[in-house]
Amino acid sequence: MHVTLSVWQALLIAIWVALIESRILGFATLTMRFSPLMTGMMVGFIMGDIKQAMIVTAAIQLVYMGFVAPGGALPAEPSIGAAIAVPVAILGHMSPQGAIAIAVPVALLGSYLYQFRFFLNTFALKSMDRFAAAGNARGLGFSIMVIPACISFALFIPLIFIALYFGAPVISSVVSNIGHGTIIHVLNSVGGGLAALGIAIIMQVIGKKTLLPFFFLAYFMSVAFAKLDINMTIYAVFGAIFAIIYVMLTQRNTDKG
Amino acid sequence: MSETADIQATNDEAVQEDTPKRIPQPDKITNKDLMKSWFGWWWANEVPHTFDRMLAPSFCFGLIPSLKKLYKDHDELAKAFQRHLLFFNTQATWGGGTLTGVTISLEEARAKAMANGEEAISEDMINNTKVGLMGPLAGIGDSIDSGTVQYIFIAIFLPFAQKGNFLGALLPFLCFSIATFIYGYYLTKMGYTLGRNAAKEIMTGGRMAGIIDGLGVMGLYMMGILAGQYITVKSYLKFDINQKTFDVQKILDTIMPGMLPLLTVVLLYLYFQKQGLKITRGLLYLTGALIVLSIFYII
Repeated sequence: MHVTLSVWQALLIAIWVALIESRILGFATLTMRFSPLMTGMMVGFIMGDIKQAMIVTAAIQLVYMGFVAPGGALPAEPSIGAAIAVPVAILGHMSPQGAIAIAVPVALLGSYLYQFRFFLNTFALKSMDRFAAAGNARGLGFSIMVIPACISFALFIPLIFIALYFGAPVISSVVSNIGHGTIIHVLNSVGGGLAALGIAIIMQVIGKKTLLPFFFLAYFMSVAFAKLDINMTIYAVFGAIFAIIYVMLTQRNTDKG
Repeated sequence: MSETADIQATNDEAVQEDTPKRIPQPDKITNKDLMKSWFGWWWANEVPHTFDRMLAPSFCFGLIPSLKKLYKDHDELAKAFQRHLLFFNTQATWGGGTLTGVTISLEEARAKAMANGEEAISEDMINNTKVGLMGPLAGIGDSIDSGTVQYIFIAIFLPFAQKGNFLGALLPFLCFSIATFIYGYYLTKMGYTLGRNAAKEIMTGGRMAGIIDGLGVMGLYMMGILAGQYITVKSYLKFDINQKTFDVQKILDTIMPGMLPLLTVVLLYLYFQKQGLKITRGLLYLTGALIVLSIFYII
């Protein structure tokens, strides 16, 4: 069976990416952009396979735990990576780990695209300055919101559409023809190990070495209790309790001192 | 020298920038205006992002409704728009929320003083306050919002996603967006009431330090759980000595289960500690190492 995306599916995914990457939905787009989850969910809805889309996206998410954008430039665009890798994985029946190996390079390219947007937005500045000098609030608002949004849509929709409509079926058929040899083993191992990246970044971002024992405590708790299959919410409750105890103890010490 | 005499004296010369000029009385700033300005900044946040002004246009966009109420004088309104289009960059809630409030309170003081013919806060003062506080507040905001709060929500709901449930995507998105919108608005209101001292309050208050530490503990704890459950690095290395097969992974498991995933994270962490947060490089090195090791079926 020849698998492919329909024009409408490719176009809808492209529009979704443009909505996020233009940031037109406000600060709510932060977690849509930093995390592949919402994009993976939309791809699942559009392609009619939510379950597989979420499983693949969850694996991609682990690579991007802890990504923050100091100054606004992220070193990768996970949502763009997911927009391409999740359809490829669904079409080619790939393992979630294999999908990671596709998402990572695409997300890296996406970050250049996002920065190109900063450059293109410069063209809107002239009209902002003109409306500001004239004291024209309506014109100013228009040039701050509408012009940059249109620029982003013109940039992202065609590119993502082309990559999906022409690129995704090709990549997925190549991948599914490789079979189960060494290449698949490499893709899966890379995907499995890359999950460590996001976690190491968060440890660095939180930045307090004195708090690191809590990381190791949790790591060995989850290894030791793996067979008990403890729910993540329970672990979150443990984490919150440890946090409260820690703060109470340190606050008391500073009060005394 | 009285103000009127001053104005008469400079009548024929160019009027100096900070010379108080009589403007109509400003309208009172209400909670609704603060909400409008916070929402404007929240909505425009990174839409007009450029390299040379960064987020200044978004900040200006948020201030538009409040500035219109404060400056009924057309020239002063235009000047206010222009000064808020200068370079500005910060984080959305802790930086932008707080500074939206602080700036409105300063602009209100300036407009009132100008209306009463008193000496007003200068434009420089407003700009310096903004620019001086934007960096430190952004540092706090980045590590709390995008570095910790966001990933705590994601970590909690990730098992849903792993089982193929779309709530694993929707719930962390909703929780994060709603929580940040609400506390961003409170930071805006706090910035407005406390004026220029607001940021100091945030950064020195002992309570805040406690909240940051607590979030740090929670964040690191959740990452430990994720590391234990989802990083899959294992050895496929096997060799025969005297007809006895040694399975490296089995030997490692008897020493300490979960050794290789932990080793991977710790090595990466040490790399970032030493080299700074060079994410792209870390990504490339890690991918390279994993490819080489897996080609030879060491992992």
